[in-house]
Amino acid sequence: MNVELTELTRRFGRTQAVTGVTLEAGPGVFGLLGPNGAGKTSLLRMMATVLPPTSGTLRLLGRDPGGYGPRREIRRRLGYLPQNLGYYPGFTVVDFVEYFALLKDMPPGQVPGAVATAIEQVGLGDRARAKLRTLSGGMLRRVGIAQAIVNQPELLLLDEPTAGLDPEQRVAFRTLLREFGQRATVIVSTHLVEDVAAACSEVTLMDAGRMVFHGTPDELIARGQGHGIGDAPLERGYSAVLAAARS
Amino acid sequence: MTVTSAPVRATPRHVPQAAPRNMARLLWVELRHNAMPLVLPLIAVIFWFDSYRIAATLPPLWVVRLYYILGQGHALIDFAPFVAGVAAWMGSRDGRRGTGDLVTATVRPRWEAQLATWAATVIWAVGAYLVFMAVTLYLLARPIAWGGLPWWPIAVDAVGVAAFASLGFALGAYFPGRFIAPIAAFGGLFAMGTSSQIGFSASGGWALILPTMSNGNFGQDAGIFYTWLPDLSVARVMFCGGVAAVAVGLLGLPVRAGGPRLRRSAAVVTVTGAAAAVAAIVLAFTAQVGPYGTVIPALHDAANDKPIPYTPVCGHAGIPVCLQPAYRPYLPDVTTALRPVISQVAGLPGVPVRASQAAAVFAPGPTVGGPDHVGQIAMVRGSPPVLYMPLGTIALPSSFGAVTASFVSQLKVEFAHALVTPGSSYGNPAQQAVEAALLQHAGISLAAQPKALGDTPWPLMGGGPRSAGAYPPPVAAAARRFAARPAAARRAWLAGHLGALRAGQLGLGQLP
Repeated sequence: MNVELTELTRRFGRTQAVTGVTLEAGPGVFGLLGPNGAGKTSLLRMMATVLPPTSGTLRLLGRDPGGYGPRREIRRRLGYLPQNLGYYPGFTVVDFVEYFALLKDMPPGQVPGAVATAIEQVGLGDRARAKLRTLSGGMLRRVGIAQAIVNQPELLLLDEPTAGLDPEQRVAFRTLLREFGQRATVIVSTHLVEDVAAACSEVTLMDAGRMVFHGTPDELIARGQGHGIGDAPLERGYSAVLAAARS
Repeated sequence: MTVTSAPVRATPRHVPQAAPRNMARLLWVELRHNAMPLVLPLIAVIFWFDSYRIAATLPPLWVVRLYYILGQGHALIDFAPFVAGVAAWMGSRDGRRGTGDLVTATVRPRWEAQLATWAATVIWAVGAYLVFMAVTLYLLARPIAWGGLPWWPIAVDAVGVAAFASLGFALGAYFPGRFIAPIAAFGGLFAMGTSSQIGFSASGGWALILPTMSNGNFGQDAGIFYTWLPDLSVARVMFCGGVAAVAVGLLGLPVRAGGPRLRRSAAVVTVTGAAAAVAAIVLAFTAQVGPYGTVIPALHDAANDKPIPYTPVCGHAGIPVCLQPAYRPYLPDVTTALRPVISQVAGLPGVPVRASQAAAVFAPGPTVGGPDHVGQIAMVRGSPPVLYMPLGTIALPSSFGAVTASFVSQLKVEFAHALVTPGSSYGNPAQQAVEAALLQHAGISLAAQPKALGDTPWPLMGGGPRSAGAYPPPVAAAARRFAARPAAARRAWLAGHLGALRAGQLGLGQLP
């Protein structure tokens, strides 16, 4: 099992960001849905090993990230795109992706090829030598995805990966997600239900730090039949589940 | 989410040999994207304006030119604020750019990633310092006739630049923000200013450890008559290196910095650095100013007390005049200064048969090139008598307002004084009057003598009213009376009385 969470909780002072989340995941693409402040980003940061849980247990790729050695091994196999991608404006696309490939301790001989592949995969091959400060928001998002996938991760955590991407790029990105889902666990936090519908085999819905639904997109759609609001079936399922959780 | 039974891929990914090569590549990436090169042109302009431009106008002696650049710390003052500011900017990068999570989620401990950025920053800063110094030394060397370079003070500045870079970097890493760079730069400027000010008032104790503290770190004839004493510089390198190590080590102590082993290493670096810095301060407390510079007994190598051998360059001013070859450009001025004085007394008993340069020293004691007490003022010593001249204590032409005329004038005054007194004393009224008469016939009028006397080192040696204003009326009257006598009469009187006059056995009333 690549991801095993048991009663995972995270508090920031008096704020309960994540409350008792339990889930397991193997290879595949998993959608993480929820309104703003639902706890999606905190949950992803815990899975990315940058935020320790307040309580509960967390096992990633068969290892406990609480120990330094296992945590390093998890990070070696991890790809992470945070919600707010920080970047160095003076770096070129190649430099930025290479920088993180080196920080991920990839074998030096593999780095140039892996960097080129990752940049091609996100469709930035023609802008590889461009400085990051010259790129649009959508292109920067793709650079962030490239650095996340450069080490061919076994666990890929993407927080709002399609924010700022144009429709054509979102379609291409979903294809990429599905490819990665063949061999790795991909967890995508998003507001865009169409991304979930198109790419995810499983979906988890969070609200106020709690997990209020998990199942397939079809099961979520079924929850919305005759209930909920929204233009798309998945949106209606989303709103119906949230309404039920809050009632 | 659905429970699946797919196995976790267990591909062995770690390549142990990857670490050094990855770090080298990481360093290369950081070097190419470091902000330090952007400020180097500005530092170059300031360095040229503040350090090189002025040093190039100073007398062509390494000790004088580099005392300005290194001894008074101008080079470090030119570098430190900018280096600290840019290093703070680089140290705060992850915090400012919000890449903390991205970097933390990678295999490399955060401290290692920071070390790559820090190393690139320090390499640029110290490299630029060394290049600027190399170019400066090359340009300054052209008119310099003789002598070796003071490598230790250069090392002090290089490590000092690294220390400021490290402090700025640590400050930026701990307090990331857009204002941290100017704050660190101002802090660097403030530290330099404070250090220089302390140097004007303190001459010992802990303050000696400050790299821009000028007291006692440059012997007046270091590298010419005697070697550069490295004692204080070694302590300063220890201090600056220790401060740099503490700054870098502190970054590795937080839990987020890395694993237990790495944090232990960071703790060792921090403690070692602190110990080095504290030990250096303790050593500074034990420092004593010796004849050739500051001596720290625990670091002192007796081999450094040996004089530097040289073949003198000689001229003639009625008597042979020999100088250390570093002072070759001043030989004409020295013979010009001695000739009008020696012409009045040549051949008389007790008058020098030759003039020889002596090493200028900080304090009385065994000196190079002459007997005791020679080294702070010209003296006549030995049998046959020899005039020993510590030219290093006299303001050489072009040094901070001094001109050839003032140099010649000071030398005449010192020689005349050495003829009529034992040299180290102020002189009684009779000695003052004869000295004044000799100087008048050597081209310095009575009216001009108070100023000429005021320019000599005597005020520093507890001088007196003679250096502050006109002669007392009885002395002036006796001087005019003696000077008015024919040259042959003066010479005849001196032939019979110079020994007694020098011994202080004559009063004003016994002068002709």
